[in-house]
Amino acid sequence: MELPVAIIILFVTLIVLLLAVYLLATIVELLKINAGLDEVLGKVGEIATKTAPVNGVLDAVNTTLVAGRNLLEGLFYQKAGPDAAGLVESAFPGEGPRFLQRIGRAGTVVPIGEEYPRGAAILNSLLGVAPAPAAPAPAAPAASGGRITLRGRSAPSATVVEEPSIPGRLSAKGSRPWER
Amino acid sequence: MAILWLMVVVLGLTIPVLAMLLKGVLGAAKSITPTVGAISGVAAAASTDLDAVIELVTTQNYISQVVAGLANYGGSLAVALPDA
Repeated sequence: MELPVAIIILFVTLIVLLLAVYLLATIVELLKINAGLDEVLGKVGEIATKTAPVNGVLDAVNTTLVAGRNLLEGLFYQKAGPDAAGLVESAFPGEGPRFLQRIGRAGTVVPIGEEYPRGAAILNSLLGVAPAPAAPAPAAPAASGGRITLRGRSAPSATVVEEPSIPGRLSAKGSRPWER
Repeated sequence: MAILWLMVVVLGLTIPVLAMLLKGVLGAAKSITPTVGAISGVAAAASTDLDAVIELVTTQNYISQVVAGLANYGGSLAVALPDA
């Protein structure tokens, strides 16, 4: 056999060996990737299964909340009338126009401010107490009986919360005037 | 004879190029494996995090009860307070 032929045979053998070794290693890696992707697919299936009812539940929750909101907003407009949007605007700045839009009314929104004398008068008349004069200074919250305050002047403290005996004072805590 | 030597040269040049290309393919395949492992871990953690989603049903019931209570409260207010 001539020398070039022997070298060619050697080189071809080397090429075949190279191809075999590298391609086998690549196949092994691809099999590992395939197994890993199978595992991921199982986990993604679990995620899809667990999140499947979320849309329905959230839609139901939103529907319930919107129904409650519409109910209360309708009641609010029924009771406060044209003041309703202003009251909403005073308590939640920026919400007054949206409130009007939701209940299908037009008009300008005039914030009522921090005090709502008409509400206080209604409450006092229901409770049968004389209306209290408006508090002259914000530093005397204890003397603000007979008023409805939309927003507190300071952070709620135990002293302020424990004042349910003031007629006409709306408070989320403590006993209500009509419960006594 | 010259052609045979030419083939030897060509094959001699081919071998390192082929080895380099195959090594690149193998390296790329090997780099995918840990990434897939990491994705699998994240997917498992995400799946575990979603175990609490079923509690949304309880939340939905609570919200329905709260809204029903609010509706009752609104009904009382509708009776107690005069209209505007």
